[in-house]
Amino acid sequence: MDVNYVGEHLLPGQIGQFFIVLSFGAALLSCIAYFFATKNPEETSWKKIARIGFWINAVSVVAIGATLFYIIYNHLFEYNYAWAHSSKTLPTYYIISSFWEGQEGSFWLWMFWQTVLGAILLFKAKSWETSVMTFVMLCQAFLASMIVGVEIFGLRIGSSPFILLRDAMDIPILKQANYLSLITDGNGLNPLLQNYWMVIHPPTLFLGFASMIVPFAYATGALWTKRYKEWISAALPWALFAVMILGAGIIMGSFWAYEALNFGGFWAWDPVENASIIPWFTLIAAVHVMIAYKNSGHSYFTATFLAMISFVLVIYASYLTRSGVLGETSVHSFTDLGMSGQLILFNVAFLVIMVVFLVVKKKEMPITEKDEEIYSREFWMFIGALVLTVACAQIIASTSIPVFNKIFGTKVAPPLEPIQHYNKWQSGFAVIVMIMTGFTQFLKYKRSDSRKFLASTVASLAVAIILTAIISYFTKTYTNLIYILITFASIFCILANIRVLGDAVKGKWKLAGSSVAHIGFGLLLIGAMVAAATNEVISVNNTGYIAVSGFDKVEKPGENLFLTEGEPVQMGEYKITYIGDSIAAPNTYYKIKYERIDEETGKVKEEFVLQPFAQNNAKMGGLIGTPATKHYITHDVYTLITAAAAESQAQHSKTANEEKTGFEDYEEPATYQVNIGDTLRYRNGYYVIEGLNKEAQLEKIPKGPNDVMVGLKIKVVAADNKQYEVQPIYLIKDGGIYDFNKDVTDQGLKFRFTGIKPDKDKLEIMVYQKPLPEKKWVVFKAIKFPYINFFWCGTIIMTIGFIMSIVRRNKEEKRKLAK
Amino acid sequence: MKKSSIILIAIIAVAIAMILVIYTDSSTYSTFTEAKEKKTELYVVGQLNKDKVLHYDPKTDANKFSFFMYDNEGTECEVVFRGAKPQDIERSEQIVLTGKMDGNVFRASKILMKCPSKYNDKSVVTEINATAFNN
Repeated sequence: MDVNYVGEHLLPGQIGQFFIVLSFGAALLSCIAYFFATKNPEETSWKKIARIGFWINAVSVVAIGATLFYIIYNHLFEYNYAWAHSSKTLPTYYIISSFWEGQEGSFWLWMFWQTVLGAILLFKAKSWETSVMTFVMLCQAFLASMIVGVEIFGLRIGSSPFILLRDAMDIPILKQANYLSLITDGNGLNPLLQNYWMVIHPPTLFLGFASMIVPFAYATGALWTKRYKEWISAALPWALFAVMILGAGIIMGSFWAYEALNFGGFWAWDPVENASIIPWFTLIAAVHVMIAYKNSGHSYFTATFLAMISFVLVIYASYLTRSGVLGETSVHSFTDLGMSGQLILFNVAFLVIMVVFLVVKKKEMPITEKDEEIYSREFWMFIGALVLTVACAQIIASTSIPVFNKIFGTKVAPPLEPIQHYNKWQSGFAVIVMIMTGFTQFLKYKRSDSRKFLASTVASLAVAIILTAIISYFTKTYTNLIYILITFASIFCILANIRVLGDAVKGKWKLAGSSVAHIGFGLLLIGAMVAAATNEVISVNNTGYIAVSGFDKVEKPGENLFLTEGEPVQMGEYKITYIGDSIAAPNTYYKIKYERIDEETGKVKEEFVLQPFAQNNAKMGGLIGTPATKHYITHDVYTLITAAAAESQAQHSKTANEEKTGFEDYEEPATYQVNIGDTLRYRNGYYVIEGLNKEAQLEKIPKGPNDVMVGLKIKVVAADNKQYEVQPIYLIKDGGIYDFNKDVTDQGLKFRFTGIKPDKDKLEIMVYQKPLPEKKWVVFKAIKFPYINFFWCGTIIMTIGFIMSIVRRNKEEKRKLAK
Repeated sequence: MKKSSIILIAIIAVAIAMILVIYTDSSTYSTFTEAKEKKTELYVVGQLNKDKVLHYDPKTDANKFSFFMYDNEGTECEVVFRGAKPQDIERSEQIVLTGKMDGNVFRASKILMKCPSKYNDKSVVTEINATAFNN
């Protein structure tokens, strides 16, 4: 059955799909041609074909991106990708984020960066071009196959971003010719991704991932073409670049988590986070061993192995996050697209390349038989790299539990407390690595004077101990041995590197880059440790907790605080008030005013308003809170809405719609025996029984001669001094007793005059109260993060250090080539 | 043998030992019956009992949410979570709890829930942590 669908724009999709297939073909052609160009360097035609393939691929990749952007930008919801990841209300800059919300877009991003890197290699790699580009283009072909989205022999290969909505989903509505007129808007972007960090974090991270192919390709190319020794210095600037960008990308992600996610922290050891840090660790280890080899000739195999495994782990990371294998263990992995087989193939392909080259060429590798000196820098760089690798193995082992379950059919659950689990291991490794990073600065390559070494190490250790005592005291981390050790190791590392930096100022600028990066990392570690160890929830709820005594005694006071609009609550040193909210669709901003008041004078010392917001998003399952943070130099105050009033109101109205008796909106009534002149309280004020009205009249019911009809005059005075007069009526008619109630709607009150008791000289009334009209309220959580600025600061310093090192290594390589 | 080779072997041994230790740290997916026996912190997988009332009244205690849940063997148990009620738990099709048994009540420190996405058949996993349960 052919249906003529109305209003579809099929051309962009066809163009896009064409370029995907073209990019795949061109990448494959280029890879093969580079392969033969490496085998037959004399025949220049292979290289020419390979380069043509590369450029066709490059143009295709750009065209795919442009077409996809056109589709999302113009809200062509006939395409699944645009529909699933964007909506009309999305601001333009978030259209960029929606671009890589899906797997397909993020694969494209990876391809795009690989194209950019490939172009640089084409111009700069010179004699390395053919062998290095063989592997780059092989990877490019694999990536293109991930988005190709065609079926071959009943096997679906890849998932195309240009698939139509009606093909992607098997829903009858979509088979109607006019289905597009029914789709008014897209699914929208996940609110957690609607954050400026999400515009910049994925491209940075993927540039980091993409650039890790270069050291891999150099190492493999070197083994293949037997240029064993040369690759290390050629690949070193690239490896440094990859470490720098990936590190920056990871930390941007942690900034995003801190700013936008509601788990209350900057690092949670989530499998997705782990997946990105694993290759970062191994490549850092690789960089150090590469430098050690370059200066001493030791550890060639380790350097090559680490550079290669890093990229294999990048692919493993994308398998973890994209295949759906993490399932319930991760909150933010991609949705499963059923490509796990293809991802495994990608992984296995590069793993096999690595193993084959390492095994086959092992004998030819320039491995020295000389034993390393203990008092030598290369020896400790090697050991440090190994410790880093073991640290990495711990993360891999713990993160891969779902993978092992899948392979062995077991049902092991990941550790219950992942953060404690990882911290326990990684803090130990961090101490060892930082101390090594410290004292290795005092060692020279090949052989150093042990007396000099010991003297400078001891001097630095002494200063480090003093500084650690001071810092532990001020940051209040002295209660825990491991915190003290981390502080000490980091301080020692920083001090040792400052000494090297001191030499740099005297003229040895060469070593400045690494020491700046080490100092940055030390600061980062201290900041992370202090912020993670001493962050405290300041919205501790002590009230309402004591009230349920006995029952809750095993538990600590809760961390969520209940705030009613306009009613200030004292929270630690702050007086906080929920002063209202404003709606900027789709978000609701809750204004929380913080005031610090001087206890003696009562003056407001400091006042600020935080506006955490929340989005009620059905796609993500309800209210998604986004924190707001007040930044100080020494600490941050982080505020997050965990529940808000709108929700509970909706639930209230649900129950009220059944049978109407006129009383169901009220609470259980209270009966009082009163006298004239009595004053009684009610929830929002008081009322006075003013007197009886014997002249009371009722419409429709005429008073008979024997009837008694008495009104009771009641004056209601609300808390805001508003007054209301009501008169419920008591009636005895023809022997029967009736009463006619009266409402005070504004106050949610209903009065019945139910009896006159002459024997007791009392009047009986029944008072019904409505539950108070619900005031707006929020439940929120506030956390204080001390010294988190060290963490961000350290990151920036570390990145600067990397840039300095890249510049230096690049210069060295150029000078070498010029000779 | 070279020093580096000895150290390499030592470190590999450490790594293997470490991985074994990691597995002692790992947990299992369990049931309420097992939780009652063991009294230790563990995971329980199951479904929300949608017929019973979910209790969350932030005005009296913003940090207490209780509900009833069936585990995968069909055993029902009351669950108390110290924290705000996870939004949309009513729609969840599967819940993974972290916590331990206390008498006849399961005290959850973390709720991980899988909700059917409104728009397609893919499920969305959300994680909610309780507050200050173990500290």
